[in-house]
Amino acid sequence: MNMFRFPVRNTPRKFKKSFGVGSGPAERIKKLQMLVTALIRNERLEAKESYCLETRGYVEQLIQIAIRNGDRHAETMEKADFWLLEKDLVHKLFKVLVPRYQNYSTACTDFHFLPKKVPGSGVQMGILELKGNPWPPVVPRQRDQGHLLTNVLLSSAKAEYRMEKKITPDLRNGDHDKLEQAANT
Amino acid sequence: MFVRSMHKCCRVCLKSSTRSNAFSYFIKRQLNTKTARKLTNEEARHKRNEIFNEERARQLAFITRIEKIQVEHKGPPEDCTLIMNKGLSTPFNCAMHIGELLMNRSVLALVNGKPWDMHRPLIEDCELQFLHMKDENPFLSNQAFWRSCSFILGYVLETAFKNDYYVELCSFPVPNVTSGSFVYDADLKLQDWSPSAMELNCLSRVGQSLRFSDFRFERLDIDASVALKMFEENRFKSEQIPQIAGKSETGSSVTVYRMGDHIDITRGPLMGSTGMLSRFSVTAVHRIESPLYGPLSRVQGIAIPMSLKLHYWTYEFLMKRATKLNPAPIPTAFQAKPINETVNKKGKENDN
Repeated sequence: MNMFRFPVRNTPRKFKKSFGVGSGPAERIKKLQMLVTALIRNERLEAKESYCLETRGYVEQLIQIAIRNGDRHAETMEKADFWLLEKDLVHKLFKVLVPRYQNYSTACTDFHFLPKKVPGSGVQMGILELKGNPWPPVVPRQRDQGHLLTNVLLSSAKAEYRMEKKITPDLRNGDHDKLEQAANT
Repeated sequence: MFVRSMHKCCRVCLKSSTRSNAFSYFIKRQLNTKTARKLTNEEARHKRNEIFNEERARQLAFITRIEKIQVEHKGPPEDCTLIMNKGLSTPFNCAMHIGELLMNRSVLALVNGKPWDMHRPLIEDCELQFLHMKDENPFLSNQAFWRSCSFILGYVLETAFKNDYYVELCSFPVPNVTSGSFVYDADLKLQDWSPSAMELNCLSRVGQSLRFSDFRFERLDIDASVALKMFEENRFKSEQIPQIAGKSETGSSVTVYRMGDHIDITRGPLMGSTGMLSRFSVTAVHRIESPLYGPLSRVQGIAIPMSLKLHYWTYEFLMKRATKLNPAPIPTAFQAKPINETVNKKGKENDN
């Protein structure tokens, strides 16, 4: 059994106009094969949000099966042969990706939303990537601002305030109200 | 209370004074010279400056031949190598060669990994980095800023009062930003004085105005004998100097800093110039009892640098916190000469 390590939707997303209107389920699978192949080849791709998220499940499943069963397993090889249209990528799957993701406890793919273009068609685009790829990061590293002088002053003031009021806030249980009450009194 | 306050704060009086006020001041000085002459902060400051200038000129005279050193700068805008003058060029001079950004924002320099003042001459081939308030981890810059603010608070106390009040500065503790305020312990010679909000405001303005005068902090290592001569009018400092000198590397040197015409003892490092000050407030004056020096005033304040923005509501909230008595150790560090270990421990408590 596969355990997906990212939120999965129960119903499949529709691929509108993937190969022309009314192209049918066969063309949908063909499109998915192309996307899976492209992702394994380039390790990052930019497409419509629905394409990315549908592709994600198949790639995750393929890598998980490859990790579990290895390259001596007939069913796994059959599956790899089906999804990877370019056959040299079968070697990449077992020789590069399996060692990379062996000890991962999280999903091995990442998805990022892209901003909608204005003016434009209003289609939500996204980026799907394999983790640990050689490309520069999509989201730039955020600087930790907690050590700035003003923030040090504020955090220590907050800590002192809580010490005096003996508040142990648990924000999950809706303690915001209690904090406000304490501040008002 | 209002009238009384106007008589205490010299700056405010002089600015709003009429001719008669100035005249009475003149008469008072004449009377003082004829009768028993009273020591004033102004005279002491003047004397210290003269000694400082003399000592600096003497030290500069040792450099008869200009030698070159190689300074390797690491960091933005780009890594580069500079050829500078040994014993003359400072990190600030290096920043002048590299870019205006570094001149304006740098609080401290790191020379071979050690914190170094912006206006302290470089003495050997070194690797140079510049630190500012928005660094990844601005701990060193924060400490330098907070220490500089304590130093400035000393200047405020010495200059804000009329000459009738001879303020004797004692010392300030190691900067601790989390305590919420910086501190200067001094003998104000004002018994039972609890300053009003207006008086505190007057004191704050003296510090705040330094932002526009943009004074540099100049460092000078002097011999203990010179330091004793410099601070002979101050009973606290003259007691502390032999102890500080004993702990120094050479065993007889004391580090003093000058900002404008104000000179004080501190280990440093301090920030580049007072132009980095954004808001400066004196928030409270508490009475504390030192077992060695007797009753002292613990003056507290809060300040933020130019590069960090803060909403006025938040600043006032922090000001409220800064009125509480700062828990820093009371100056007793130089009481006696106990075992070496305890000296080191106590030495950490007091910064100057």
